[in-house]
Amino acid sequence: MPERILVVDDEPNMLRLLKTILMDKTGYEVTTTNNPLEVSKILQGDRYHVVISDLKMPLVDGMDLIEIIRKIDQTLPIIIITAYGTIETAEEAVQKGAYDFITKPFRKETILITIRRALEWRRMQEELQALKNQRSAGTEQ
Amino acid sequence: MFKFLRRFLKEEVDGMSRLREQFGHFRRLLTGNNQALEIMADMEEKLSGEFLFDTGYLETQTQRLLDNVREVVTELDLMIEGGRHPELASAYERLAEEIRAELAALPSIPETPYILPLSALNRELAPAVGSKMANLGEIGNRIGLPVPQGFAITAMAYKRFLEEAQLSGELEAMLSRASIHDLESLEAISLEIQELILRAPLPPDLEEALAQAVQGLPSPWLAVRSSAVGEDSEFSFAGQFATLLNVAAAGLPEHYKRIIASKFTSRAIFYWKYQHFSASELPMAVGVLAMVPARASGVMFSQDPQAPEADRVLITSVWGLGPYAVDGAISPDLYVVSRKEGHPIKERRVTEKPAALVCLPEGGVAAEALPPKQGSSPSLTDLQARTLAESALILENHFGGPQDIEWALGEAGNLVILQSRPLRVSTPRFAAALRERPAEPAIPPLLSFGVRAVGGAAAGRVHLFLHDGEVADIPPGAVVVARQPSARLVLAMDRIAAIITEVGSPTDHMTIVAREFRIPTLVDVGSATRVLRPGQIVTVDADAARVYPGIVTELLGRQPETPEDLRTSPVFQKLGRILKMTNPLNLLEPESPDFLAGNCRTLHDLTRFCHEKAMDAMFNPDVERVLDSSRVSRLVSDLPLNLFILDLGGGLKVSGQAQVREDDIVSRPFRALLRGFHHPNVSWSGQVAQDMKGFISVFANTMYDMNKGERGLGGKSFAIITDSYLNFNSRLGYHFGMVDAYISEERNDNYISFQFKGGAAAVDRRERRARLLKRILDDLGFKAQAKGDLVQGRLVKYSLLETEETLELAGLLIAFCRQLDLALSSDTVLERCLQAFQKEDYSLSFLRPEEAAN
Repeated sequence: MPERILVVDDEPNMLRLLKTILMDKTGYEVTTTNNPLEVSKILQGDRYHVVISDLKMPLVDGMDLIEIIRKIDQTLPIIIITAYGTIETAEEAVQKGAYDFITKPFRKETILITIRRALEWRRMQEELQALKNQRSAGTEQ
Repeated sequence: MFKFLRRFLKEEVDGMSRLREQFGHFRRLLTGNNQALEIMADMEEKLSGEFLFDTGYLETQTQRLLDNVREVVTELDLMIEGGRHPELASAYERLAEEIRAELAALPSIPETPYILPLSALNRELAPAVGSKMANLGEIGNRIGLPVPQGFAITAMAYKRFLEEAQLSGELEAMLSRASIHDLESLEAISLEIQELILRAPLPPDLEEALAQAVQGLPSPWLAVRSSAVGEDSEFSFAGQFATLLNVAAAGLPEHYKRIIASKFTSRAIFYWKYQHFSASELPMAVGVLAMVPARASGVMFSQDPQAPEADRVLITSVWGLGPYAVDGAISPDLYVVSRKEGHPIKERRVTEKPAALVCLPEGGVAAEALPPKQGSSPSLTDLQARTLAESALILENHFGGPQDIEWALGEAGNLVILQSRPLRVSTPRFAAALRERPAEPAIPPLLSFGVRAVGGAAAGRVHLFLHDGEVADIPPGAVVVARQPSARLVLAMDRIAAIITEVGSPTDHMTIVAREFRIPTLVDVGSATRVLRPGQIVTVDADAARVYPGIVTELLGRQPETPEDLRTSPVFQKLGRILKMTNPLNLLEPESPDFLAGNCRTLHDLTRFCHEKAMDAMFNPDVERVLDSSRVSRLVSDLPLNLFILDLGGGLKVSGQAQVREDDIVSRPFRALLRGFHHPNVSWSGQVAQDMKGFISVFANTMYDMNKGERGLGGKSFAIITDSYLNFNSRLGYHFGMVDAYISEERNDNYISFQFKGGAAAVDRRERRARLLKRILDDLGFKAQAKGDLVQGRLVKYSLLETEETLELAGLLIAFCRQLDLALSSDTVLERCLQAFQKEDYSLSFLRPEEAAN
C-alpha cells in the first residue's frame, strides 16, 4: 500500500505546490487540507504515515496541531514548515514532538528527503514496537 | 601666523571630518546597495522553479528590498549637498507603490461593461472574460483562424448579479459548510445553491444589455458556455461547468443563470475545493456564441500527452455536435497526424458511430440515429484531418505550449475553432520509462485491448459504475469500470485507483480530469462491464492496455508524470511580475545623456544610478582637493597604478605619510588584492592585439575616449582602507574597476563586491569581455551578471580565509582582463581565455605567439 501523506497549510498556493511535487516525484498518496480543524477527522478516517504542517495558521496553529495529532497517534511523524524568522519556534515544535522542521523557501529535494527519513523512522518505530510486543508475549508465556 | 596656522589646521581637520562623514554615507549606501543586489539575486533564483515558497516570502523579501533601496536613495541625497537629484525620491515612491500594489493584489474583477464582443477580445482580457473566451478572441482576432461570432458576459456582470441578489454572503456561508469528504451533504448544499441562483432575478440593466447584445448575432440559436476566470489555465475544470447548445436567444437570461448555477454543481464544487480554490477566485464569465450546426466535431491535442516528444497530433471526431466526442457517449474516430510538414496521416481508427447529436429546428439538441453506412464511415477526410493538424500547430506556436482544442466543421465543411486551452503533457522521462517497461507478466490478461487515456498501473477491486447517482458508493481504492466516461466521477477521483470505460477517448473531459488526478485510465475497452466482475481484484496496466487478474506487483509503482511546472502557479507568476519591476537594468552607460534619475524604471536602475552618482560625489574635484591636502598617501610600487590611499583607521602602519610602500600596508583585504596584482604570471605590459581590427578599434576609441580618460579622476586610482575594509576604485587605461570588500572573523559580515567595465576596444569586444568575466566570477563563487560591457558580482558570507583568497583572485582577474580588449575577437577566443584562466595560464601565452616563440 502506498504511503499516505497529509499536508496542512492555510495557503492554497503552498498546498497546490506541495501536492504537485509529491505526486509528481513519488508514489505517495497525498491529501491536502487548508482547514486544520479537519485534521482530526481525516486522521481518524484513514491511516496516514506522515503529516506536513505549516507552523503559523489561523484557527489552529502548528503547535496546537502537534498536540491534537499526538492524542490520535503517538508515532505519526510530523514535519513542520516554518518561515526563516521563526526558527526558535520551530525548535520548540520539535521539542513538543514534531519529527523535524524545514524553513521556507526550501528546495524540492529537501522536503522529499525529509519525508523519506520520517517514513524510515516510522517503520523503525513500528518494528521496535512489534519486537517489544513479541518479547512481552514471550515473557507472559 | 599663529592664526593662519590655526585656520589652516582647522580647515584640514574640518575637511577630514567632512570626508569621514561623506565616507560614512558612502559606506551605508554601499551596504544598502549590496544588500539590495543580494535580495534581487535571491528572488531571481526562486524563479527557477527549484524552490517552494509562499506569499510570506514575497512580502518579506520585497519589503527588505524596498527598505534597502530607500536607504540607498537617502544616503545619496545626504552625500550631495542641496539634493541634486530631487526626482530620485519620486522615482522610488512611484516604483514602491506599484510593487506594493502588485504584492497586495487579490484576484479582483476588472471594471468592464457587462458585455464585450468577441471581436474585441484577446488573451490579456482573461481576468475580465475568462480564459476560454479570451483565448477564443485571441484566435479570431490575432491568429486569424475562424471562430463563431459572439460575445462574453463579463465577470463584472457576474459580480453585479450576485450583489444585486445579495447572494455573495449566503453562498460563502453555505460553501464553508461543504466538505469534499462528505458527498451527501455536498450534494444537498449544491442543490440548495443552484436553486437560489436560478430563482434570483437579474439586475434590469444586465438584462437590458443581454437583450441588446443578442440582436447583433446572425442566428437566433446560441451556444452558451462557461468561461470562468481561472478555468482552462493551470487547471482545466474540464466538463465541470455547463454548456447549453442550440438554445433560443430570447431565453438568454435564464440560460445565463443556468451556467452560473453550474459553478455550484456538486462535482464542480468538489473539483475546485479539491484544488484549493475558493469561490471568490472563480468569478464566472459566460460566452455566448452563434450556434454552429456542425457536420462533424471533435477535439484535438497538438501533442500526444503521453508521449509529447513523439511526432503526433491526436484528433478525435464524431458526426454532428461535439459533446459526443468529449463526454464519451460514443467512441469517436481517432486520427494520428504527423506534426511535420505536409502532415501525413500516421494512423486512422474509424469506429462505429451509431448516432450523432444534432440541432433541432425548434431548439435544443437530440441524438439522431445514423444510417449504418454513415455510422461506419470516417467523419473526416484526410485533407480535413491535415488542415486540422496544421491549425493545431498554429495554435500551439502562438500560445507557446501544447493545446487541447475543440473544433467543428460547419455544414459547408468549413473549419471553426470553438476553444483552445493548455494541454498537460507527461515529461519525456516518463516516455523513457515506458520504453523500459518490465517484461510482460506470465499470467494471461483478462482484457487486452483499449486505448490508453492516462498512463500508469494500479490495482484494486472492480466496482461497476452504471449510474451517475452512485458515485458516493464507490469505495476507496476501487478500479471503476463503466460503460461510458462520466465527468461526475470527479467526485471520487481522490480515492479511486484506476478507471476503465467501454467507450470514450483520450480527449474526453473525464480523461482530462483523470490526468490531473494521475489516475491510470483505459477507454474504449469494449466489453469491460461484462468481463470484469464486481469485487474482483485486478491490475490495470493502462500503458499496455491490459487488465490482469490479481495484483501484479512488477507492474505497480509506475506513475504517470506530468511536469511539475511550478512556474504556472499564481505565486510564481506574482514573483515574476514583481521582478519585472525590480531587477532589469536599463541604465547602463553613466556617460549617456539618458543616465538620469527620471529614467529609472526599476529598483535596480535606482541602485545603479545612486551607486554611480555616489562614486562621483565621493571622488569629485572638491574631495580631490581635500584628498590632496589631507593625509592621503601615494603608493610607490612597481605596479603601473597611479594609486592614492586614504586610511580611515588601521589600514597603514603609519598614517599621514605622503608616500607609502606596499610593506606599509596593514589592511588585510588590500594586501590580498595587491597580491593578486603581483601574480607572477600576469603581464602588465600593455594590450594583446590578436588582429589588426582589434588594434584599430583601440586606436579609434583611444582618440574618442581621450576626454573620458581625463574626466575628473585624471587617471588616478583610489583605495579607501581600514584594517578589514577596502574600497578600491581603479582606472587602468580605459578600464574602470571597483572592488569593495570586508574581511573579518564573522563570516556573515564578509563580502566582496566586484565591478568592471569599459575598455578601449569596440563594443562587441568589451561585451565579450564582460561575459568572460561573468563566467569566471561564477566559477569563483560569485553571483554575477553581465550587461553590455558592465559586469557585477557579489560574494557573501564566506570565511575570512576564503574571502581573502578570493580577493587575491579578484586582483588577478582585474590584471588578467585588462589585457583582453583587443584579443576577444570571437566567442572561440573567449572560450580559450576562459580555459586558460581555469588552467591558471594567466599569461595568455596562446595570444602572444611571438613571445611564445622566443
